[in-house]
Amino acid sequence: MTSIAELTGSNVSAGRGAYNFAFLDEATKREVRRAILKGVALPGHQIPFGSREMPVARGWGTGGIQVTLSILGPDDCVKVIDQGADEGVNAWNIRRLITDTSGVATTVDSGEATIIQTRHRIPEAPLAEGQVLVLQVPMPEPLRMVEPSERKTREMHGQADYGRAWVHLYEDIVSRGEISHTTGYPVMVAGRYLLSPTPIPRWDIPKLNMADCIFLFGAGREKRIYVIPPHTRVEPIDFEDYPFYVEKFPDQRCAKCGAVDVYMNELVLESGEHVYTCSDSGYCDNRTAEAK
Amino acid sequence: METPWMLRVDGLGRRYGRGCARCLDTTGPGADTNSCAECGSIVACAALSFDLLPGETLGIVGESGSGKTTALRCLYMDEPATWGQAYLSSFDGGSRDYLQATLPERRELRSALMGLAYQQPAMGLNLQITAGGNIAERLLNVRVRRVSEIRDRAKYLLGRTEVPQDRMDDIPAHFSGGMQQRVQLAKVLANSPSVLLLDELTTGLDVSVQAGVLDLVRELQEQTGVAMVVVSHDLGVIRLLAGRTLVMKNGRVVESGLTDQVLEDPHHPYTQLLVASMT
Repeated sequence: MTSIAELTGSNVSAGRGAYNFAFLDEATKREVRRAILKGVALPGHQIPFGSREMPVARGWGTGGIQVTLSILGPDDCVKVIDQGADEGVNAWNIRRLITDTSGVATTVDSGEATIIQTRHRIPEAPLAEGQVLVLQVPMPEPLRMVEPSERKTREMHGQADYGRAWVHLYEDIVSRGEISHTTGYPVMVAGRYLLSPTPIPRWDIPKLNMADCIFLFGAGREKRIYVIPPHTRVEPIDFEDYPFYVEKFPDQRCAKCGAVDVYMNELVLESGEHVYTCSDSGYCDNRTAEAK
Repeated sequence: METPWMLRVDGLGRRYGRGCARCLDTTGPGADTNSCAECGSIVACAALSFDLLPGETLGIVGESGSGKTTALRCLYMDEPATWGQAYLSSFDGGSRDYLQATLPERRELRSALMGLAYQQPAMGLNLQITAGGNIAERLLNVRVRRVSEIRDRAKYLLGRTEVPQDRMDDIPAHFSGGMQQRVQLAKVLANSPSVLLLDELTTGLDVSVQAGVLDLVRELQEQTGVAMVVVSHDLGVIRLLAGRTLVMKNGRVVESGLTDQVLEDPHHPYTQLLVASMT
């Protein structure tokens, strides 16, 4: 059978050598980095960029992958998590793409990583200055639920016209007795822009506020990049008499490492028993290893 | 310095189309048309000037297409005016043409200082969010951030406009037309605006509901002293609400004066026709 290499007349075998370092061409990386710099200058503002076709379906983390690949250097150490775990299929595939095309080191320890790519969680252990958290964003527009027109939402951001986002919360309280956003709870960044923090649970929202690390958000399908720089004020929107609160796991401890006061997954065993474990698998593994 | 008026309108006009130098000369009641003979542009209204005093109600009457609604929409900045200026005593002491204000200033002005009740409630309300939520929107726009405060205010306003309070958490899409109109009224009153613009408030409502809404408007004005511009093609409504009246035809004012005077002793042939056809 004829191989693809023969068909394309290329002598280069598949793998690292077939691609530029970190897959993307240098011009694309520059464009993405430029958008990131603009995002740093305007914390929380959505910067448009020309999202590239990636060898991953759009909506599966292409925005985050492009951000990670654009800032990646040969000395970086990368951690990729999906639903808090390093072992998810999506996490594996993204990690493989990154290492196959760049050869950088990977880790599951959030303390060791220089770049952490994630979608649903921010690691439990606080991140330090110099660390970069890259978030994959499915829906970058926090006003989409109240305004379908992109043109209008841009105007609303331009004028900080966020009254309707609060109307949405009000309606929620009226019909459900509380604010029902479970993930992607909208936040105000530096008192100026309303931002959608991607499907992270409420539990992780306070970690965005005045953090030592930088948060880069990439939306591949929607072609937007935005940034929460270090030491930036991030406040969830709420009412004085219905304040923001995080999920609670009363009287639960991790069945593996015994941790309390962490975000947990609930598992139903075959016996019908409900047990809780850390959602952040790297954190849990560290604790288990230390105990031994 | 405090101005004697709440709202001053000076030479307001709106043209649709590319326009030419002769638009104003070839349109109006004299020419009996709104469309320019030269370029075909439509002059919806032009050269509209008046002062609205505190607590006063100014009526604007005229047939369909006379430019009444366009004038209100320009004053509420739903669309840009082609000509003229407008001043609000509550905006920079009336020193600055508010039609030229910055976008955030205009938004503030529309939510806090003025209110426009549209002829079709669907334009002033979001029918898919609750009646209370519609009122909340105006309060949230001026940064009220307590749910209990919003609900108290909404309850009070719906009570005042005679919307059953147990319907507060229902969506207006499920309300009758008259109820929607009253919810809209409650919404525009939410921030106690200093100027209220009412566009054909009672058109399309059945007569008993009409009477209720008109009573309500009169009562609210007595209590709050809000200044109002009431647009209607129904002279009965104008007679009941307005102290002073402008009569518009083909986009221009053809007659103005005290309402009683205009209705009892109409001078312009068009006003005479209007009054005659009333009985």
